[in-house]
Amino acid sequence: MALKDFVAMQERCSNCSFCKWIPFDKIKSNRFSENCPAGVWANWNTYFARGRFQMGLALVNGEFDYNSERADIARSCLDCGACDVSCKVCRYNLEPLAHNRELKHDAVEHGNVLAVQKKMLDSYAKEHTLLAGKKKEDRAKWAEKIAWAKDAEVFFFPGCKYSYDRKLAAKAKDIAEILLSAGVKLGYLGKDDACCGGRAYQMGFFDEFAKGADANIKAFKKHGVKTIVTPCSDCYHALKRLYAERGLDVEVLHVVEYLDRLIQDGTIKFTRTVNRTVTYHDPCHLGRQGEPYEAWNGTEKKILNQIHTWEPRRPRYNGRLGIYEEPRNIIKAIPGVRLVEMERIKEYAWCCGAGGGMQAVNPELSKWTASERITEANATGADTLVTACPWCESNFAGAVDENGRTINVMDIIDLVKEAL
Amino acid sequence: MALSREAYKAFEAVVGKRNISEDTAICETYRCAAAQSSAHYGPYNHRTPMPAAVLMPGSTEEVQEINRLCNKYKIHYKASTTFWSSHGFIGYDGCIQLDMRRMKKIIIDPKNKVAIIEPYAIAATVQAEAMKYGLTCNIPGVGCSSSVLANTAGWGGAGPSSVFTGNTVENLLCVEWVLPNGEVAVTGTAGSNDGWFYGEGPGPSVRCILRGAGGTCGEMGVCTRMSIKLSPWPGPKYLPTSGISGIYYAEGLDNFRYYTLCFPSWDDWSGCVMKMNEHNLMYTGHRQFSFFGRDVKAAFLRIITNPDLQLCDLPELMADPEVIKTTESMKIEFHTVIAGLSKRDLEWKEEAIDTILKEFHGWKDEWSLRPEIQKYMLTYFIRLGHKNLNYVHCGAYEGHFGLHRNNQILSARLVEPAAAIKREFEESGPWNAKVGGDSAMGSLGGLGGGGGTMGWEFFASYDAHDKKSVEKTCEYFKGPVQDFMTKNCGVTEMGSGQENSRRPDGYCWTQEDHNRKFAGMPGTNMFAYQWQVREKFNPNHLGSSYYQTCDPEYIKEFKAQQAKK
Repeated sequence: MALKDFVAMQERCSNCSFCKWIPFDKIKSNRFSENCPAGVWANWNTYFARGRFQMGLALVNGEFDYNSERADIARSCLDCGACDVSCKVCRYNLEPLAHNRELKHDAVEHGNVLAVQKKMLDSYAKEHTLLAGKKKEDRAKWAEKIAWAKDAEVFFFPGCKYSYDRKLAAKAKDIAEILLSAGVKLGYLGKDDACCGGRAYQMGFFDEFAKGADANIKAFKKHGVKTIVTPCSDCYHALKRLYAERGLDVEVLHVVEYLDRLIQDGTIKFTRTVNRTVTYHDPCHLGRQGEPYEAWNGTEKKILNQIHTWEPRRPRYNGRLGIYEEPRNIIKAIPGVRLVEMERIKEYAWCCGAGGGMQAVNPELSKWTASERITEANATGADTLVTACPWCESNFAGAVDENGRTINVMDIIDLVKEAL
Repeated sequence: MALSREAYKAFEAVVGKRNISEDTAICETYRCAAAQSSAHYGPYNHRTPMPAAVLMPGSTEEVQEINRLCNKYKIHYKASTTFWSSHGFIGYDGCIQLDMRRMKKIIIDPKNKVAIIEPYAIAATVQAEAMKYGLTCNIPGVGCSSSVLANTAGWGGAGPSSVFTGNTVENLLCVEWVLPNGEVAVTGTAGSNDGWFYGEGPGPSVRCILRGAGGTCGEMGVCTRMSIKLSPWPGPKYLPTSGISGIYYAEGLDNFRYYTLCFPSWDDWSGCVMKMNEHNLMYTGHRQFSFFGRDVKAAFLRIITNPDLQLCDLPELMADPEVIKTTESMKIEFHTVIAGLSKRDLEWKEEAIDTILKEFHGWKDEWSLRPEIQKYMLTYFIRLGHKNLNYVHCGAYEGHFGLHRNNQILSARLVEPAAAIKREFEESGPWNAKVGGDSAMGSLGGLGGGGGTMGWEFFASYDAHDKKSVEKTCEYFKGPVQDFMTKNCGVTEMGSGQENSRRPDGYCWTQEDHNRKFAGMPGTNMFAYQWQVREKFNPNHLGSSYYQTCDPEYIKEFKAQQAKK
């Protein structure tokens, strides 16, 4: 696909602005009613999905070219997909998220690459991680002392954050050991473990992503991987959706899905009471974007003169099959924990601010987005904000709300560990 | 047409660097693609003019200063909020666009049952804040994504809830109004620092100037704050819903009921509507899902309430005997939500509806009585958050055959003849969605307590990406639709209001155009009056020409020439 392939969608956007809010039926207050971090941060129409359609169309029509401001706009999308869910409350034939991504890709194709992105991509090419400055030879160090199963059926895919960050690596070790203790024949790719490349894709570097993804798929085949379990929501999305599109045919599970199974069947039993009031943040790429991939290759077909449909039936990703209940089941199963919900949850959750590589691309927007979420979390009265993604956790860590208050941020793995 | 550097710097000093832009990409997203949204002046393959700059003021003081600068530099502007329809966009080259989205505060005064709102407060958020206090607001037919302030100051605002809450015009109380000269007028009780609870004072009441005959639509300065009347909400502190991704079900609203009431004839339909209005039975009243089209609405209702279905399932659904049964059942129908303020109240209303239905040979559509459909419809009508379904067929529609501002009897009798014209067009070629002619949707109560049909329009759904589809739809509006209206007094064309404001090329009419257009029209004095008001309040004509005026001197000359003839 190229931006020009989106012209029909660009011209069929009805400019209704539904993409600016969470689904209206779910609004409980004015304060937490909006959904698009980039749009709310910048305020211009241009930053919302409808504006991106308009900007994209003008670019295709050659009405203007990129300048630094326009490239900034293109890359400011956090890839959270909240606009996609809201649009599809009523529309069946628009794909705002796919268009936002293509707009980024188009900007990249036109040479709009930031120095910080170049460093990330160089690192991805040379060191197989998008975390610039990290070395390939250090990637598996965290896993050296773990007694991985030799006849592994399930492979652990920690992702870059858990592999390189010392604090997070301890969590990766914890969850691997929890799974191994629960009898899971868990393996690890060792020197073949590499970055999923999801961030590259989210920033519009489709070709670079494809190269890395294909190499990983090859490695999975070499190791005979049938099931992958990952604690990282970004990796989860990349493997489950993007790799599947490139032919990966293995079961992909997030740790919360695996843990939930083990709790439900009684394999994991909590022994300690955890006295916390927690609120759960749905990571975008586990929640609304965590839907299973469905292959589709078809074309538009008009019925009843002008009604746009697809032949054959096209999968409609609107967040309804995302992973929402599993993490909540885990939290609810822990003795003593009280779960209180934020106003924007599940398919209409507010992003953490780390999506789309925003920590590197636009740190101000990234921090502001996190701050908004901390404000929302504190409004619940919870003492702990739990999430299931290292990118969310790292972006929330140190963020303060609009009143300057922080909140205790925890990975769901830590919460589980506290209760075992 | 770029602003002078001096003017740009002056505006920048007011709103700050971050809140002004003249970048082409930013400005491009402040143009209305007339084919893509309900422009209501006809579907056209063009966009409205490119703003010279876009500004986002954050306070009343900033809006004042912008007005002063616009007078100084003779720059036109247009203030807008949600930018859905063409109304909010500039009408001339060299204009600046004000995007009011930074001003979105909502304060609820539960004691006086009013909401004090800023421009970007939309109906969904105002309602959500009001519900915390057992109150709600009118949500106009355009849906809950619309700005309450813009709707109230500039338009009419009839919708499903108007029958209970009154339309938005009826709910207008006090206003903080930045006049075109930059001064601030505060009207009603707020104007005498007595609070925001009453529109007529003590304090100045200049409602007729603020609104004009059809709303001044942004020409006469900018309203930066407003109070509106709220109505009782006999439900919980927020709209409680289950479900996911657009299919949401209201939970625990045990004192609410939803019905699709159906009739064998339009006379029975109008008799029932009038009687239900007389007895104040409805919490919401609308003919709603007919916008899908008579032949497809039952099938569409299956799709929007079932996550596994898509538009490609339409043909199969339309052939399903159960769906056919619903299609037949709800040919001539309306949709209502009943709210019991007490258990006894609900019982009485239910009994009254049954009695009235019997009198007018009506019935409740069976499919709509299913518990999950009841719950879905309660969410749908109470929040009115699915209005973009208006565009579901092909991404664009335009309204026609208004049938609004009439009594129910007259409106209802015109539906079938109008539907026949529409059906003929649908069958004339692949230009419009072929959905069964009748696609008339609108409110059952233009006024609180009922009375008149408001905001009624037939939906013509076309593909904005298919230029021929747009052109043919336009031809249909200019041909058969105009003919029908000429032959049937009482039918007003939904787009006509905007046609008087914006030309087919996307630009607003000039004063000379308006003089020529309005001088010979009935009720010329109204346009002359509005001209005088505008000249006093807005001598530099800073807004668009949505406020319809005619120069009295031109009228004199016109009349003299007519007399000679």
